[in-house]
Amino acid sequence: MNNQVHPVREAIKHAVLILGALIVILPFYVMVSYSLKSPHEIESNTGGFFGAQEPMVDEYCVKLGNPRDACVETPVVYNYTQAFKKAPLLRYLLNGILVTASIFIIQVLVALPCAYALSKLRFWGRDFVFGLVMFCLLIPVHAIALPIYIMLAKIGLTNTYASLVIPWTISVFGIFLMRQFFMTVPDDLIDAARMDGMSEFSIIWKVMLPTAVPALLAFAIFSVVAHWNDYFWPRVAITGNRDLYTPPLGLREFKGDADGSIWGPMMATATIIVTPLIAAFLLAQRRFIEGITLSGMK
Amino acid sequence: MAQGVHRAGYAFIAPAVFLMIAILIAPVLIAAALSFTDYSLGNSGFDWVGLENYDRMVSRSTYTKMLSATALYVLTVVPASIGLGLGAALLINSVKRFGDIYKTIYFLPVMAALLAMALVWEFALHPTIGMINGTLSAGCGTWIESLLGWHWLPWADDAPSWFENGCASGFPLWFGDKDYSLWTVAFIGVWQAFGFNMVLYLAGLTSVPRELYQAAAMDGATTAWDRFRLVTWPMLGPTTVFVVTITTIRSFQVFDTIEAITQGGPAKSTFVMMFAIYEKAIQHNLMGMGSAITIVFLGFVLILTFVQRHLVERRVHYS
Repeated sequence: MNNQVHPVREAIKHAVLILGALIVILPFYVMVSYSLKSPHEIESNTGGFFGAQEPMVDEYCVKLGNPRDACVETPVVYNYTQAFKKAPLLRYLLNGILVTASIFIIQVLVALPCAYALSKLRFWGRDFVFGLVMFCLLIPVHAIALPIYIMLAKIGLTNTYASLVIPWTISVFGIFLMRQFFMTVPDDLIDAARMDGMSEFSIIWKVMLPTAVPALLAFAIFSVVAHWNDYFWPRVAITGNRDLYTPPLGLREFKGDADGSIWGPMMATATIIVTPLIAAFLLAQRRFIEGITLSGMK
Repeated sequence: MAQGVHRAGYAFIAPAVFLMIAILIAPVLIAAALSFTDYSLGNSGFDWVGLENYDRMVSRSTYTKMLSATALYVLTVVPASIGLGLGAALLINSVKRFGDIYKTIYFLPVMAALLAMALVWEFALHPTIGMINGTLSAGCGTWIESLLGWHWLPWADDAPSWFENGCASGFPLWFGDKDYSLWTVAFIGVWQAFGFNMVLYLAGLTSVPRELYQAAAMDGATTAWDRFRLVTWPMLGPTTVFVVTITTIRSFQVFDTIEAITQGGPAKSTFVMMFAIYEKAIQHNLMGMGSAITIVFLGFVLILTFVQRHLVERRVHYS
């Protein structure tokens, strides 16, 4: 295999890769650019990336009876303040954080003890339970959405925070992953802890948990990314109660208003929702790629 | 000690086992049972209707359109996103510099909320104010139109090209045109998925032993194509089996782009299964029909998974 770089071939490869990169980046460019521009610039497709940032008059603010001078803003300020004013975006973001964090914490509380028992404790029926875990890995979450919705509706739990969290409390994938990891932890470590008089319960949280931090971190990324971005389940579970909207549901509301001036604030909202994960990804790429492709270990 | 360990084991698995049964297994059984009924939320009871819901799926045009739209979507997105993912991985692996930068960029769509990006794409592809059609029509009457007219090609006939038609009578409405909508939605699917496949292929490529290339070269495999055909592609087999399975399952689950942009239209051209479940069951309260679609979806996924396991095991046997 020749290792010398053929300059023309190398240039062609880069040209293809750059073309691909431009197509991949295009919607991100559109999103950020339009979140900076005035409605007029958006409709006429002018102003370059940043827009001219000429002060504009907020007509709605004038309609409310404010003096014209007090309603003048630059487009970027207008878009981002409107994003928070037209809809309770802050509330949606907090809902998103609350739901995502609750899901992850409950998943860990359920999965870690189970994974520990399946990997380090001997008891009758253990293989059967592990078989159950392997079987449940086959069930895609989208296939249980409808019956879960019916069950939640029957017990009156739709349109609650609980309904957003309950279907995700069990992560068989998390159990499987943590079990595989615990199998590699030496038994001596656990025996030593037992000698010291530790209960099995505290062994999980004081001995096993600290050794599992890398695996747990990868699982955290896997879980948080999936549920922060999830749209299907919140759409199904939450019908109408805006106080419970997660960020994607909140963003989707913008589409209802056909008014042209909404595009800027809508793109600002999209930018605000997408940025946290993208920023975290750029800071810790390795870990993120590891976490997202975790399902590759199935 | 042994006794204590036993009891602790049961206590530790109890919550997980309870939730597995209540949240995963029971719902599947419920869906299977309801798929033979005409159940609606709010009704006190329901009637058993036998196979009527399944029968509708193959006889009513709404549902046959659903099956064909889903099949078309999956059969477009899977090969395209895998081909592009593999291509990107091979290119990134072979360039001397900047490989990591491309990798980072191509992975960005995997991280971004698909719903948000769907709305951005819808906007970029807007027929009147979108920048795609704006850019395309800016090329009309210039050298770009002559170039994309293709009449300079020796074998070209006089029929107007796609681009010339666009200039003369307007560029496509994309999501609003039933001849384009499914392909446009599939394009977003590919855009979002191929970076994920690329990362898996990059991981697969690092495990191909270098000596194999040297051995192949000694056996006369001189061109890049030979090296790919004889060494890289067979060695990536396990990765490909996995990538095909996960991409197919994910494509079957497409929902965000459809709900946000096309609502299954126009003329049911993008009426995919997940959206059908949402519309029929959640919005129209036809739980029996929704359950039947759910069971068909589950059937597809299980068949795929078993085929994958079979392929993986066969590989292990013969190697």
